[in-house]
Amino acid sequence: MVDAVAAEMTLEMVMASQLGLKALGAGIAVGLTGIGAGMAEMAIGSAAVGATAENKDIFGLALLLTVIPETIVIFGLVVALLLLF
Amino acid sequence: MLRPRQMCHIFITGSKNQMEPIIQELYRCNVFHIEEFIEQEMVGYKGLRIGMPLPGASEASSKLIRIRSIENTFGVKFKEVVPRKKVPVQQLRETIDTKLSVIGSEVDQLLTKKSRCETAVKDLEQKINELKPFAAIPLPLEMYNGYQRIAVFTGRISKSPDLNVPNETYFSQTKDGNFIAVFVPAEHSEQVQLSLLKINFVPVPVPKGEGLPQELLNLYTEQITAHKKEVAQIQERLGAMKKEQIEFLAACEEMLSADVEKAEAPLRFAMTEETFLAEGWVPVDEVSSLTEAITRVTGGKCSVTEVPIDLGHDQVPVEYDNPSFARPTEMILTVYSRPKYTEIDPTLVVSIVFPVFFGLILGDVGYGLILLALSMLLRKYITYGEGKDLIDSMRNFSIFSIGFGILYSEFLGFKLPWEPLIFSRHLNIGAHATGHGPMIPELMVMSIWIGILHITLGRVFGMINHARMDHGSHRVKAVLANFGWLLVMWGILAAIWSKFSLPYMPDLSSAPVVAMGLNLVAVIGAVALVLGIVFIGRDNVLEVVEVPTIISHTLSYARLVAVGLSSVAIAMVVNFIAIGIIIEPQLENLSVVGVILMIVGVLVFILGHIGNTALGLIGGGLQSLRLQYVEFFTKFYTGGGIKYKPFGMKQRQFTED
Repeated sequence: MVDAVAAEMTLEMVMASQLGLKALGAGIAVGLTGIGAGMAEMAIGSAAVGATAENKDIFGLALLLTVIPETIVIFGLVVALLLLF
Repeated sequence: MLRPRQMCHIFITGSKNQMEPIIQELYRCNVFHIEEFIEQEMVGYKGLRIGMPLPGASEASSKLIRIRSIENTFGVKFKEVVPRKKVPVQQLRETIDTKLSVIGSEVDQLLTKKSRCETAVKDLEQKINELKPFAAIPLPLEMYNGYQRIAVFTGRISKSPDLNVPNETYFSQTKDGNFIAVFVPAEHSEQVQLSLLKINFVPVPVPKGEGLPQELLNLYTEQITAHKKEVAQIQERLGAMKKEQIEFLAACEEMLSADVEKAEAPLRFAMTEETFLAEGWVPVDEVSSLTEAITRVTGGKCSVTEVPIDLGHDQVPVEYDNPSFARPTEMILTVYSRPKYTEIDPTLVVSIVFPVFFGLILGDVGYGLILLALSMLLRKYITYGEGKDLIDSMRNFSIFSIGFGILYSEFLGFKLPWEPLIFSRHLNIGAHATGHGPMIPELMVMSIWIGILHITLGRVFGMINHARMDHGSHRVKAVLANFGWLLVMWGILAAIWSKFSLPYMPDLSSAPVVAMGLNLVAVIGAVALVLGIVFIGRDNVLEVVEVPTIISHTLSYARLVAVGLSSVAIAMVVNFIAIGIIIEPQLENLSVVGVILMIVGVLVFILGHIGNTALGLIGGGLQSLRLQYVEFFTKFYTGGGIKYKPFGMKQRQFTED
């Protein structure tokens, strides 16, 4: 049965499925890192908002701390772009 | 440029009777930032003391409070009043007392009247609520009480009772619930009460008053209407007064707040029995004119001394000094933290780099034009403060967005009639999409280059800052540490270039091999890397663990491409759904349904692009901001400078001398 399927696969089909897997991989890379960054930013962000409400002067620092985990999603994105192109 | 305005440390001393004219002059010049005098609280201290306010301070402040309370009553902010013409201060001083008391007493009267009416309305509404259940029963209120041998029960109940004693019962059924009034001989009252309670009787007291409830209700409603009418009239009168007097009040407020500020200035000065000492800061280019002005008003009987600045000890106030196009950007710095007096003020760099980043992300002629129009429109309504700076920044951004749109050849996701002048970002979306597709590797390399240069600039600034601000051996170490970071970054780059040939990057893989299969460039890179780490470690060993951030910070600039591409993708998808899927198929054979579908398509197009404009503005703005704050500022910027607040009024809007 397996051999029969393999025999029917043409080169185009293989190429197409490879492309599809690449796209899947890229999507997973961005998606999972996005979730990761979001979860990390969730706690920092809420604390930062609270702190800024108490003292407006630390807005810059608060923003800086909040965006630190964004690096994760940027890495995911770089991986995705490298996969796709 | 790249530095805050240079300041001079000034001491003004004179005898106390010169103080008032000097304060007047300082206020007029509006350049002297007063350094507050703090009295030493030691026992037996016999030195300088804090001064007393000038005469008239308390009177002026009480008038000011009066005016601000009227401002509150009128519900306006003087800042928002548009002045028609300026009033001479002298004229204002002559009229203020009489006019203010007239306005004040009238406003007070109106307010008392208004609150009286409002209380009356509340009372009446309460009465109406109490009366309402009785309205359904045709008995005057006086009939409910005053009996000796009859007991009366009034209240809410679940159903009509079945009483087996002589009684007279009125039962009414309404939406709000059933109401009952029962009259029974006094001797049966307990028994009746019990049987009523069994069917959920809740007593309601009979309201005071005489006459039929319905008639009373009508009367009360009439009274409420009358009171409300009166309130409306008062409101109208207040509105008319506001229109008439607001400019006068705003002018008074302006004059009085200046008076109060002047009168209270001695509280910030140091005093002896007969003399005073004012310490403060003046921009270098204003010193001579201020000295001249003070000498003129005092006839030279006063000393203005310039003292050298002690950067280690003095808190020098910071005033930005930037060309006009960079001024709106100062807000971005202030939100983060005002630069210190001694450090580099990066406003100018940010004001150029920020819009370029924004343009790189949202490079689209269509979106640029929309944002430009929006900022022009909003600018008409927002004319002061941070809002104005924000809108002016948005205008600059949108111009860059249009510029990059022309380079990218993009208009709302469509292609303009020419090929992209720099790298293409057009994706192949839709059925008949053809073409090259986005030039991702080139775009990525471009963003990395931008990152490398931006970070290098940040580190160079860091070296300058440390050279300027630090002392002794730490100074050398800190400067070298910043140089070390540069060495590590460029060392890594050299190592990469010696191995791989990348588009738009120097190809150094053919350099002569020196040792262990590594070529010259790789060896130089490795040496730079090690040397850099040594330099960093000499300043602070813990910093060495941060070395990988060099890679993450540089790669972080990839967002310039990524966020931009996502915006292009959304635009193209919107176009494809609206035009390719919904509108185009209908054009082939027109029908009524087809026309409706086409309208839906147009709606999708408009809504999609509105959403994408908002996303582009937020994404482009925030991502560029983050690159400034996180990747750029962390390399050199500390901030924490205090604001330069000159003693005086920024701009007089309502009054003149």
